[in-house]
Amino acid sequence: MAKIEFDKVEVGQTLPPLDVPVIEHANLVRYAGASGDFNPIHNDPDFARKAGLDGTISHGMYVMAQVGRLCTSWAEQKDIAYFGVTFKAMTKLGEKLTIVGTIKKKFEKDGKKTVTVLVEAKNEAGEVKAGGDLVVNAV
Amino acid sequence: MAITKDIVGKKLDRFDFTVERGKIKEFCLAINEKNPIYFDVEEAKKAGYSDVPAPPTFPTVIMFWGYPKIWNDMAELGIDLSKILHLKEEYTYHKILYPGKVYAQSEIADVKVGRAEIVTFRTTIYDEKNDPILSAEMAIFIRKD
Repeated sequence: MAKIEFDKVEVGQTLPPLDVPVIEHANLVRYAGASGDFNPIHNDPDFARKAGLDGTISHGMYVMAQVGRLCTSWAEQKDIAYFGVTFKAMTKLGEKLTIVGTIKKKFEKDGKKTVTVLVEAKNEAGEVKAGGDLVVNAV
Repeated sequence: MAITKDIVGKKLDRFDFTVERGKIKEFCLAINEKNPIYFDVEEAKKAGYSDVPAPPTFPTVIMFWGYPKIWNDMAELGIDLSKILHLKEEYTYHKILYPGKVYAQSEIADVKVGRAEIVTFRTTIYDEKNDPILSAEMAIFIRKD
């Protein structure tokens, strides 16, 4: 991790992808405790089935946290100005996600250099679970 | 009871929360984050931080552990909790979020009614000097039968 050098990134360039370990029930139990989000659709299979799901589903924020890991594996935490995602599909147990990033835009305004990256979490079939923007202050 | 646009601008209770190094570590272990800057103050200092920073999505911890009343508030605002889906989460960072006491306040930033019902909450997290550290926007979608 280093400062993002404005002149060294190009629109369309991709970030090294990040593979997320297969999502298991234990990951979500642990995430529930850490985050404080105890919505039972994420930790109680019986409840989830009664709510009309096949079983428990991942917290959207667990998926966003994985996207966040890609962000902080590429840029320094202190240079991140904005990070936002839209949740597009539910993530089920047993799914294997890969987090990808593509440089979308770079601009300089009032001497301030900024790089925007399209970041996405996809499963093995290429279905996007969450996608959004990372905005980084560059040098 | 359905939601209406009348709730736009409504503020929820201001609350405080103490971000602890141990909680940052627990959160990082839960998300598989292994960068030592989040675990070790010395490593953080070497990387140019004054303490271990909280990772990008840590503000969710402040909301859920710091303001569990959010569920009651949503129900009182007319939101059917059994029908909500998380639609969007956005963070704008002004400063680094470090261990220590923070203050937070949420308000209803936007409401969409009609075929798709969406409620957006904006939460600002402040430091002890009342300077904003970050703002978070959470949009929830209310499913219809």
